[in-house]
Amino acid sequence: MHKNQPRKVRLQVDDVAYVYEGGTRTHALEGLTLAVHDNEFLAVVGPVGCGKTTFLRIVAGFLTPTRGTVLCDGSPVRAPGAERGYVFQEDAVFPWMSVQDNLEFGLRAKGAAPAERAAVAAELIRLIGLQGYERAYPGELSAGMSKMVEVARVLATDPSILLMDEPFGSLDAQTRGQMQDELHRLWEKRLKTVVLVTHDVDEAICLADRVLVFSPRPGRVKAEVAVPLPRPRPLELRLSPEFSAIKRRIWAELGLAEAS
Amino acid sequence: MVAALRSIRVRRGLVGLLALLALYGLAAQIASGRLPTRVSLAKHDIEGVELLPTYSSLVEEGVFLVQAGILLEGAAVSTGRVLAGLLLGSVVGIVLGLAMGWAAGLEYALDPWVVLLRFTPALALLPLYVLWFGLGEAAKVGLIATAVAVVTLQGAYQGVRGIPGVYWDAAAALAAPRSLVLRRIVLPSALPQILASLRIAIALGWVTVIAAELIKPSMPSLGYLLALAGAYPRVPTIVIALATIALLVLVSDGLTLAAYRWVTRWMRRRHA
Repeated sequence: MHKNQPRKVRLQVDDVAYVYEGGTRTHALEGLTLAVHDNEFLAVVGPVGCGKTTFLRIVAGFLTPTRGTVLCDGSPVRAPGAERGYVFQEDAVFPWMSVQDNLEFGLRAKGAAPAERAAVAAELIRLIGLQGYERAYPGELSAGMSKMVEVARVLATDPSILLMDEPFGSLDAQTRGQMQDELHRLWEKRLKTVVLVTHDVDEAICLADRVLVFSPRPGRVKAEVAVPLPRPRPLELRLSPEFSAIKRRIWAELGLAEAS
Repeated sequence: MVAALRSIRVRRGLVGLLALLALYGLAAQIASGRLPTRVSLAKHDIEGVELLPTYSSLVEEGVFLVQAGILLEGAAVSTGRVLAGLLLGSVVGIVLGLAMGWAAGLEYALDPWVVLLRFTPALALLPLYVLWFGLGEAAKVGLIATAVAVVTLQGAYQGVRGIPGVYWDAAAALAAPRSLVLRRIVLPSALPQILASLRIAIALGWVTVIAAELIKPSMPSLGYLLALAGAYPRVPTIVIALATIALLVLVSDGLTLAAYRWVTRWMRRRHA
């Protein structure tokens, strides 16, 4: 396995708090501390409204924490940056651009030459198996394929960490399963550090090396559950006793099941 | 043109138009000789007025207006004014609208003015513009440009405000510089609404030009032709001038609609 080398910290979150100001002050996060290692796939699960998305948006630089620090590769996060790729809960591919233009957008933002942009886009098209759809608009793709275009668009600029906010939440169960397999395959190939926020415990166990369970609001890390299952993880794995044992632990932390 | 005839909507529209034209012809024939021919204008009674002109008198009048160099030249001059006002007004309106949609500070500073102008018909500014810009082209074009600018500003502003937050975030997360965001995010996603507002602005531009041409009226112009025909009175000239304006509005609207459909082609290509 490729997870045995000494582990460098990619992302360090220290004592982060976040308060939404407004009519009512909402403490979304309080005393959140965690670290994500190089090439690690980390999943975050938690009850609705526990601040999972707030945490991810802080790491992305969309929100500034009320207190605490976030370090990515040692430097403090102050604003969004291409080194932290973000895959959104909503459909975020640009519908007025062709698949090709979507894939090239990040490189265009960096001022890359047309030849380089085309080469990277061609490689990503192959990677997600969308040959022949370069000139198609996202509206012509299925929701699942559109999501993969979004993931590929983020990979184009080679970010050091990939942040995913319930990326498959809006897909039907069957497509979601396919997309999880696809993401797993991509991750094995491209070796990215990933933080995946999800409400789907099965999805977290299928994909992650480690699952963090957030407490109800204000969110912080309530428990950490390692997922020592071998990869690749086919669908049948979800029926194995090992899988069930991990799921039971996470459910117990979420208050959905008795601890065994 | 042939392709357009295949569209069921175009065919239905044509049938409706032809039916209306036939009805008009019929009504004019029946009315001919039955309607009063004497009208009272101010202190004078005028004889020999054809209130509902038949097609034959319309054709006769049309031939005269074209041969005398009144109709086509008037249409050209008025179209030129509309185009000049449209160009000036839409550039100002779109630039301001995009800026207001993008920068909240500017929005607060300009919003009271926009609200004020939105509820003031541009024509109400006519006396002011005559004093400011004189009796020449500047006041006429300025008036049209004002009407156009107010409408396109709304369109561009709403277009930018309507861009879903996730697209701004996605562009920011990909570290897109402002110029790229403007060219590839803001403009393309606001363009449908800008063009929709431009369609309204064009119609408004034609309304405004007819009134603006009463500023120190001179031939050739469709607005003055209408006013003169009303004063004489010559009903066939009025009908022909109105039909000419309707035709020009229809053509310019059709061109804008075609542009709209072209820039929104990505919306219609759905997953097969």
